[in-house]
Amino acid sequence: MNYAILEKFEYSFFRNLVVRQIRQDYLENLTGFAWLILQPLILLAVYAFVFTTIFKARLPEAAEIGFVPYLAVAFWPWTAFSEAVLRANGSITANGALIGKVAFATEQIPLASVTATFLMHLVGYIAVLIVLQLMGTNIHWLYLLLVIPIFLLMWLFACAIALFTSAIQVFVRDVAQILPPLMTFWFFTTPILYSASRLPDSVQWFSQFNPMAWFVARLRELLLFGDAGFDISTVVIVLFVAVFFWVSLLFFRRFAGHFEDFL
Amino acid sequence: MDSLVRIEGVSKIYPRVHKPHERLQAFISLLFGREPANGARVLDNINFDVFRGQSVGIIGENGAGKSSLLKVLTGVIQPTSGRVMVHANIAAMLELGAGFQPDFSGMDNVRMKASLMGLSKQDLAERLDDILEFADIGEYIHEPVKHYSSGMVVRLGFAVITACRPDLLITDEVLAVGDESFQKKCIRWIEQYMKQGGTLLLVSHSMYVVQKLCQKAVWIHEGSVRQYGDVFPVTQAYLAWHEVRTAKEKEIHIKATGDGAYYRIEKLILSGVEEGGRQPVFAMGDDLDVELEIYSPDDRPPVGVVGVVRADGTPIYGVVSENEGATPVKLSDHHYRFRLRFTSVDILPGSYSLRGFSMDPEGMRVFDRREMTFTISGNTKEAGFVRLPHNWLD
Repeated sequence: MNYAILEKFEYSFFRNLVVRQIRQDYLENLTGFAWLILQPLILLAVYAFVFTTIFKARLPEAAEIGFVPYLAVAFWPWTAFSEAVLRANGSITANGALIGKVAFATEQIPLASVTATFLMHLVGYIAVLIVLQLMGTNIHWLYLLLVIPIFLLMWLFACAIALFTSAIQVFVRDVAQILPPLMTFWFFTTPILYSASRLPDSVQWFSQFNPMAWFVARLRELLLFGDAGFDISTVVIVLFVAVFFWVSLLFFRRFAGHFEDFL
Repeated sequence: MDSLVRIEGVSKIYPRVHKPHERLQAFISLLFGREPANGARVLDNINFDVFRGQSVGIIGENGAGKSSLLKVLTGVIQPTSGRVMVHANIAAMLELGAGFQPDFSGMDNVRMKASLMGLSKQDLAERLDDILEFADIGEYIHEPVKHYSSGMVVRLGFAVITACRPDLLITDEVLAVGDESFQKKCIRWIEQYMKQGGTLLLVSHSMYVVQKLCQKAVWIHEGSVRQYGDVFPVTQAYLAWHEVRTAKEKEIHIKATGDGAYYRIEKLILSGVEEGGRQPVFAMGDDLDVELEIYSPDDRPPVGVVGVVRADGTPIYGVVSENEGATPVKLSDHHYRFRLRFTSVDILPGSYSLRGFSMDPEGMRVFDRREMTFTISGNTKEAGFVRLPHNWLD
């Protein structure tokens, strides 16, 4: 179909969507922006208490740097990813009124939702890194430049999943129930609370196919160990995420014209 | 001429989506590139063009498919079959304040809407004053839209449209909202817009608005085009069709009563003569005694109506029991009787009918009707229906 309005990605509209989402989800409460930084810091304190005082977690890889920095560097990106996917899942249904009245490229809605979550968590992540530095952890700040493309890749990966699930959610409302336990399962099968070496061999080979495991490992290497060890896996993951995103977008667009009938 | 919108064989079937398994089925068939087959057909093979500079009114009764057609045109929904080709930058108002987010301020929503219609930040900054002036809602622009009155929402919505200068403007019954002066403002703006070569597609139930603003009209009936052409013949045909239909409804209404009526008339007696008997004859100035017996199934006293009409149906006089505080006598369970005397009836000689009607106790609806003819005899050269009491002075 030949709609001039659909042909171009409306940049300023997309930016408005993101800003709106951020205001709705994060800035509408009293503490506003401060909460964004406080929340991850409080959570970090809770995890520090639980894992160092109660569980007395010991990891050989984290012997030098301590368990808390080891966890924190991986945990925030995961939270951003997981929250982005879960929030975006219902975004089409939540914006039914807009979709039913105005024609626009609907993929912008889940993409804006993911983007808003990532932007907000990026702010929190940097706050966490600063606090870690102040507490004596040696953060390799220079490698933050390499962390950004990794974050972008993670963002694209989250976008791809969000396009998939949010489109299905319109037709099959059960997705909203299935997704949270799936994400929890994913969280525990990804080496975030533990190191990859703790996985039994039978599971370890499987972990190679978990993109999140790759992201988490790269972030730790870069920020904590100052090690930019990129190899063939980098090419594979970039290709995988790009193809996955493209397929998701095609998948989404196949249904996009019919959302209105099912909302 | 330059076709701005071409609609070719457009049909739309809304899939059934109430049960989860129907949604799943629809999902699977869409996944494999098929249209969900079963559902309600709201548009059936619609074809027409809208040319640049034309104004087209879309008319039709409620549920005819007008709004669905506009949604297909604007790309909000996909047609099940057929094609829509749009070579224009469209601004559509499918509903007042379509796409406004109630929790955000008017200003935020203006920004959102403007960006949605492809206006850059710069464009918006330039035209913001015009928008605010047109909307004319003052300081409310900084309040959340949920605190707006419906008139304010539509004013703001229309104001944004005016700033976008679209090639094609689509409005769905928006002019019906808003006060008189705002409606006039909108109509003036649309007329100006048309003069500058704009194209308009308008849905309205007001034939006045359609005739005022449109050159062409499309009459949509049960999902297909019933008539397309110049605005006057089409709107007139539509109005005529409405009148016929309303008249038919009335007929059906009476027919549905008859023997099966709820509050039915059992007897209509005029001065001792029952309906269907010989035709009674009276002289001018005689008294007319009317008895109306009504059966009440719930045993509540019904309302009765008695009237006299001329043979050609011209009403002469009618009276409703309830309005004069008259109550019927209960003869036995469910049976009620009104008695009424017209004293010294001065209707002029001729053939007349007495009519009786039964209504429910609330006097809301007529349930049954009986009629009997009678004759007033006499010789007089007076003209008209009734003799008005009079005296020649001097």
